[in-house]
Amino acid sequence: MSPGVDIEASGIRRAFGSKVVLAGLDIAAAPGEFVVVVGRSGCGKSTLLRLLAGLDKPDDGEVRVGGEPLRGLYPAARVVFQDGRLLPWLRVGANVALGLSSRETHRAAEVLAEVGLAERSHDWPAILSGGQRQRVALARALAASPRLLLLDEPLGSLDALTRLEMQRLLERLWQRAGFTSVLITHDVEEAVALGNRVIHLANGRVLGEWVVDLPRPRPRGNAQFTELVQHILETVMRIDQGILR
Amino acid sequence: MRRIVPWVVPFLLLAAWQAAGDVGWLSGRVLPTPVAVARAGAQLAESGELGLHLRVSFQRAAVGFLIGGGIGLILGMFTGVSRSAESFLDGTLQMLRTVPHLAMIPLVILWFGVGESAKVFLVALGVLFPIYLNTYHGVRSVDPGLIEMGRVYGLGRWQLVVRVLLPGASASILVGVRYALGVMWLTLIVAETIAATSGIGSLAMNAREFLRTDVVVLCILLYAVLGKLADSSARLLERWWLPWHPAFARMPVKADPGDPDGDNR
Repeated sequence: MSPGVDIEASGIRRAFGSKVVLAGLDIAAAPGEFVVVVGRSGCGKSTLLRLLAGLDKPDDGEVRVGGEPLRGLYPAARVVFQDGRLLPWLRVGANVALGLSSRETHRAAEVLAEVGLAERSHDWPAILSGGQRQRVALARALAASPRLLLLDEPLGSLDALTRLEMQRLLERLWQRAGFTSVLITHDVEEAVALGNRVIHLANGRVLGEWVVDLPRPRPRGNAQFTELVQHILETVMRIDQGILR
Repeated sequence: MRRIVPWVVPFLLLAAWQAAGDVGWLSGRVLPTPVAVARAGAQLAESGELGLHLRVSFQRAAVGFLIGGGIGLILGMFTGVSRSAESFLDGTLQMLRTVPHLAMIPLVILWFGVGESAKVFLVALGVLFPIYLNTYHGVRSVDPGLIEMGRVYGLGRWQLVVRVLLPGASASILVGVRYALGVMWLTLIVAETIAATSGIGSLAMNAREFLRTDVVVLCILLYAVLGKLADSSARLLERWWLPWHPAFARMPVKADPGDPDGDNR
């Protein structure tokens, strides 16, 4: 499978009207790295992800993927959206095969099996549960063997147990395929569970960064894990409150 | 029991109508009894006249519908997909739409005479706008999130139209089809009544000249049946074309047979 590609955004500014969402921001991910961006809603993290995906252009600054300036969409990047965005008129299998060339269609069944939904291939998306839908969305993203996977709070609307399952699944798939991952979330615990690095975004800037050097898979009860989550949470809250005041 | 209930009122009306004719309250000139109408129908069917007129009317309706609907669909896709096509065409089409197509009859007779093309043209014109509008509106109301997803997942322009826009618009297009089927019969009735030598409408007009009220009533009933048939086939089309759509689904929407708790395994 194709290994990850590096992505680097430097001096990113983006404003909508008079509201500055990203105010000169630098962020980078090495090939195969798992970077997690945390922040409150409205901190600009979704805007950042859209810029990294090439769905939107920065007013200032530059995004480089694999050393090349990003123009439009990067073909080997896939985005998993918060709301899944499965096509309701295609069965699960056809949704996963979306955009695959005829030579690659066998990949659809493979990745569907990897996310544990091989037997749901002929179902309509409407009858799946929220967690199953996100697993299909994940399978669809992985079917094309992406070099860069961008995840926009894909687990945000799931219940706690399903979230945990999905986090493990995501980690497993990432370890196996070796793509570069950028995950957006508001859940610090999720960030520590998955990221090589956790980046705190607030007020359109990077205000904190932690390297997570814990062995995988990371058990929740682990003292180091809990300590790091606590530390990040406290720092994030202190900074955010400072900004709000 | 539930299947019988909707038929009670029509049956009673029919019985009252028959009784009123038998007793003599209704003159056969004004409104012949259902039995008389049925007898007229049987006679015409036997002579082969009925089948001929039905076939001619059906053919006009179908050809006009396919031509008008096809043009409407293609134009609607164009203006729905492309902003430049929208600004180039939509204003004109919206303007033409406000002209009642039946007002064109004198002009159409001048252009085509009273031949087949006049009727087909009128039907096509009447059908075009409802299909155009609903296609255009349907394409425009496809979730932009899905279009964006399609682009990220490497769909080209044509793929985007076939896999995302057209299916996304199909529920709206079918609403247009149902409405257009109504317009189709209405147009045909008027066109055949005014200027035709065959078809159900002309059968009714001939019958009027010979004071055959029973045949006139028969023709009206035939139009009702044909209209109902068209509507039912549109419903069938919905169920066949939109099996994924919650409104037309043949599947349980909420409950999941493989997952009775509704959550994940």
